[in-house]
Amino acid sequence: MEFKKNRVVLDKIINKLDRFVLDFVRALEKHTNYVIVSGYVSILFGRTRVTEDVDLLVPKLDLASFKKLHDNLIVNGFWCLNSSGVAELFNDYLSKGVAIRFAYSGKSIPNIEFKFAKNRVDEDALQNSLQVEFKGNGVLNVSPIEQQIAYKKIILGSDKDKEDARHLEKLFEGHLDAEKLKYYEALFRRK
Amino acid sequence: MRIFDKKQNQKERDWFIDYWAEYIKTHSDREWSQQQADMIDSIL
Repeated sequence: MEFKKNRVVLDKIINKLDRFVLDFVRALEKHTNYVIVSGYVSILFGRTRVTEDVDLLVPKLDLASFKKLHDNLIVNGFWCLNSSGVAELFNDYLSKGVAIRFAYSGKSIPNIEFKFAKNRVDEDALQNSLQVEFKGNGVLNVSPIEQQIAYKKIILGSDKDKEDARHLEKLFEGHLDAEKLKYYEALFRRK
Repeated sequence: MRIFDKKQNQKERDWFIDYWAEYIKTHSDREWSQQQADMIDSIL
């Protein structure tokens, strides 16, 4: 694992979950910026667990842009579990802050929990994402590690989330921005 | 008699988390990620 400024390079054996996320992002990134948050970030960096869903945020899109993105995902072998109606997905789900889920066609797990960024924390994750490069196999944008650690410890707080945070803290020891971590911890304690 | 000691169990889990993070730091990506892939691919 090589740590560079705002970039980590992994020479990782790609597992089925990584493959799924890389395939999804390859179809998505032609249409929008994105950031991956929560559990998969810890798994990407080696946590010994699996998840059925991968949380992904995109900036708010209009209906026409979402339709293009949606249609490209379908062409690339994904389907939306919630509905096949693009207007319904946009109006009844995304615009109301409700996530929708995409999986490989004909499958339900693993899936991407896809939603629009809806607050300052989400916007911050999008703008300050960490790039994770799989040597020769693509790049993923993930939320800043300091934000992940603070969010999991303070906002989520389950045993699993605290363990994810502990893993990231140990792994990134010496590479974390202490001021940034303090900032996120203070921000989340106020919420 | 206490049937399940949650605190002790968490301590043991934390030990492994620290052990595994250290393992990742001291072994090649190919080495640790092969073990992770074996586990994840057997589930998905």
